[in-house]
Amino acid sequence: MAAHTSRAFLSLGRINVPGLGLHKSVSRVTYSTGLSTDSSKATTGSPQKGGKKVLSKKYKREPGDPRTELMPVDQDWTAVYPVATPFIPDAIPLPVRMGCPVKGGAPPEKKGNLELIKIPNFLHLTPAAIKKHCEALKPFCTEWPSALDTDAKCDEHFPIKVETKSYVSAGPSIRNPAARIVHLSVKLSSLNLNDQARKKMLKLVGDRYCKDTDILTITADRCPLKQQNYDYAMYLLTVLYHESWKIEAWEAEKTVADMEEYSWEGSLSQENILDVLVRMKEAGEGEGEEVREQLLGRREVQEYKDSVTRLKNEGENESTMLQYKEAVKKVLKL
Amino acid sequence: ILHLNERICPIKLFGGSQQQEAVAAESEPEPLSIFRTQENDPACQSEKHFGQYYTLPSAHVRTVFPHGLPMRYKQQVKTFNEACMMVRPPALEVISSLKKTDNSKPAVRYLFYGLKGSGKTMTLCHTIHFCYTQGWLVLHVPDAHLWVKNCKELLPSSFNSSRYDQPLQATEWLRNFRITNEPFLSKIKTKQRYVWTKRESTEEGSTLGELVDQGITRVKTSSDVVGAVMKELRLQSGQPESDFRLAVAVDGVNALWGRSTIRKMNNTAVDPEELTLVYNLRKLMKNDWTGGAIITTLAQTGAVYTSKYSYLPKELLGEKGFDSMDPFIPVSVPNYSEKEFESCYLYYMDRHWLQYPHSRTEDGKKELIFLSNRNPSMLERICGFH
Repeated sequence: MAAHTSRAFLSLGRINVPGLGLHKSVSRVTYSTGLSTDSSKATTGSPQKGGKKVLSKKYKREPGDPRTELMPVDQDWTAVYPVATPFIPDAIPLPVRMGCPVKGGAPPEKKGNLELIKIPNFLHLTPAAIKKHCEALKPFCTEWPSALDTDAKCDEHFPIKVETKSYVSAGPSIRNPAARIVHLSVKLSSLNLNDQARKKMLKLVGDRYCKDTDILTITADRCPLKQQNYDYAMYLLTVLYHESWKIEAWEAEKTVADMEEYSWEGSLSQENILDVLVRMKEAGEGEGEEVREQLLGRREVQEYKDSVTRLKNEGENESTMLQYKEAVKKVLKL
Repeated sequence: ILHLNERICPIKLFGGSQQQEAVAAESEPEPLSIFRTQENDPACQSEKHFGQYYTLPSAHVRTVFPHGLPMRYKQQVKTFNEACMMVRPPALEVISSLKKTDNSKPAVRYLFYGLKGSGKTMTLCHTIHFCYTQGWLVLHVPDAHLWVKNCKELLPSSFNSSRYDQPLQATEWLRNFRITNEPFLSKIKTKQRYVWTKRESTEEGSTLGELVDQGITRVKTSSDVVGAVMKELRLQSGQPESDFRLAVAVDGVNALWGRSTIRKMNNTAVDPEELTLVYNLRKLMKNDWTGGAIITTLAQTGAVYTSKYSYLPKELLGEKGFDSMDPFIPVSVPNYSEKEFESCYLYYMDRHWLQYPHSRTEDGKKELIFLSNRNPSMLERICGFH
């Protein structure tokens, strides 16, 4: 009978425990059948604990499928990620993995991956989102002038290019000190400079000129405001232009060491070769100046001049050396 | 060490391409004919001898090169008991130009340049050997760098107070000059009177030998004697009455226009121009004399204040040096070509320099090519370990 009762109580206890915690005593009685009350008192602790454990297990519903399963392929992504949001694994239908791979395995998956959450993502700036931004900005823009359809035409009509950056951020202040920097770039070929003025300009400007692209870049950042820096950069350009056209008295003292390029006329090389040729009696009879003119006019001497100039200006490599060798052989008639 | 030359039967064809059957059994007759040539006269060598080794007679080695050969090559000559040199295109190019030199024209300057260890000094020695066999007077400065560094004794010059003398280097050079040019010493006469001290002077018309002896015995005046010798030779060569031709060979010519490590008493650096030896040698380098040739080499190996990787003429000579040497004929000395490498490899095998059996295999050969990049000096060093 007791067994029967216990069985019944057992079943009772089983049914009722998850829902309500009312049948405390019942469960106790159920499990402690056959034991004296004393013993039941003694074992109060463990069923008590067991009871508590069983009770704190609240009703928990199973997590459903992640949202990614329900997303159609042609959904509007800009609605999923309209603003900059941290990475949500269940909202992004991509099987991304990130982190240090387990030995012999793959990097950890995206579910519960802190690495993916830490890094910045640009899921709110997909091409579709950008298109929407552009569409929203269009009413505030004007048309690009139709006459300026090639880069060359832009360079021709607008040779000076000004580059500035502006910054937008949410914070206590909307100002950003980096926004004051102004880069002004202009091609030297579009400025009206003769040979002397160009060389002086290059010396004044130094590193700011790039030989490969022929662009002079002036960066102004010493004033606190962008407009002030822009004015300063324009002023610098004007001053450089006018200064490079002026010729000072001391510029006449320019020495060979100051020259940017090697020029063969009047150099030691010319003296040497003329000397050698005169001694070799190549010119025949004649007086000083005429002999020199005649020798200079010869084809071999011109080739020699070209090879030496090339060697000095371009630096030496196999091809320039070979050219020099051939030229010398021809001049010395070897 | 085998003297394979002596075992060959007397039937030798020009170029040595005949099969030699009388050769000892251990080396095949084939390699002998490929890498050696019997043409030991540089004047008769031509393109078909490219890559082949010719032997320098030991008498010539003693007289012509008392101080000219590279150190490692001297050791190799001692080990192999023969002096074999490879015939290479740069040397033959200059030799053929030398054959055509016109005595009445100003001296032509040749400059050998190339990577470190590519064989510039050896090419210079080959050219000098040619000049010697043709009876030219050889003025060989083995390493101009020795004159601008490590000077133990520096005396102010008695002739010109702003210059400095180097007696030790000068006497050594005079001694070697005497060994090389014995036959000329009694033939050439001085054209000027030189006064050394109140009591010593060399009269006009005395032989060059006396001048040289004066320099060797009186060490203090040796640098000025060197200058006098150079001046005499420069003035006399190319003149109709003198029958000799002058070959000036300088190794490490970039030292003349570089910097020196010698310091004066007040610890300021000495400009090379202030050294008597360098000053006189620079005068010889100018092409204002006739009847000979100037053959020079660039050298980075002993150079001071130059980068280890520079080897091109303008970098090593500098602006001043280039302008002084201009116009010159630059001759490039590259690393071994495939044919030359084969030849060198067979030579070392023949001399039993390559000890390990692994180096006789194809793999071993590829390893040598890879390790040395066909650079002659690297190859020589590596073969010593293989």
